[in-house]
Amino acid sequence: MMLGTVQSGFGYWNVYAWIIFFALAAVLVFYFRSAGRSDYKAGTYQDEIFYGGNPVPKDGDEIAVPASSAYWGFTEALSPFYKLLLSLHTGIASDYMGYFVITMALVSVLIVL
Amino acid sequence: MLKMDLAKTLGILPRSIWVFLCNSGSCNGCDIEIVATLTPRYDIERFGMKLVGSPRHADALLVTGPVTKYMTERLKHIYDQMPDPKVVIVVGNCGCSGDVFYKSYNLDGPVDQVLPVDVYVHGCPPRPEAIIEGVAKAVLKLEALRESLNSKEADVADVAQS
Repeated sequence: MMLGTVQSGFGYWNVYAWIIFFALAAVLVFYFRSAGRSDYKAGTYQDEIFYGGNPVPKDGDEIAVPASSAYWGFTEALSPFYKLLLSLHTGIASDYMGYFVITMALVSVLIVL
Repeated sequence: MLKMDLAKTLGILPRSIWVFLCNSGSCNGCDIEIVATLTPRYDIERFGMKLVGSPRHADALLVTGPVTKYMTERLKHIYDQMPDPKVVIVVGNCGCSGDVFYKSYNLDGPVDQVLPVDVYVHGCPPRPEAIIEGVAKAVLKLEALRESLNSKEADVADVAQS
């Protein structure tokens, strides 16, 4: 059953173990949160994120670094492949039907041979 | 017993002053000396003092440089972001008096024209010993500020109860 222990050969899965784990994690999180200072002045600059002393832009995208930056080199290295794929995806249904017909013809040839 | 030990420990913790450094237009000479205080020769961290990356974690604001017009608003902003009680330490002649840049066309400083300064450390640049002495004075001032804030809070609580 889902509530029992599932042995995988590498370890086990148990719902109760996970519930205990999350409960412990929650206790720790609330403990660290309660250890924070509560005497700050809400509604002032003390309440604002630190952005090098500059006014914080209202649009988060202006200061956010997108996750795609992490694999920029990867996409750059494979750009010829991506360009080919993008050029194939024209958005026109008749093109896709053409690819389907061609693929089916090739598969049929392979099966017949 | 445990409660007493905890109170003692928590009483010691605030003496570990955390410092945020802001360069308001310095030549970096003072900043290099501040970094020298962190090296093994001076090792300011053995006193629990350390530089932090955000004013929201800091007890003291260390300012170098004579405050250029560009930095004025940013310096005020950083000061406002620090939690109370807080102290401002100026390191170097430029921040203390403007030094050779005094009355320059592009300055709003020295620092005490922009922020309430608690400790001045003179020198061009000041030696690490002088900076450590300045920070030690700031610790005393910070303790006095903390006590006055606590007594004010106690007074407010007494008034609210009565």
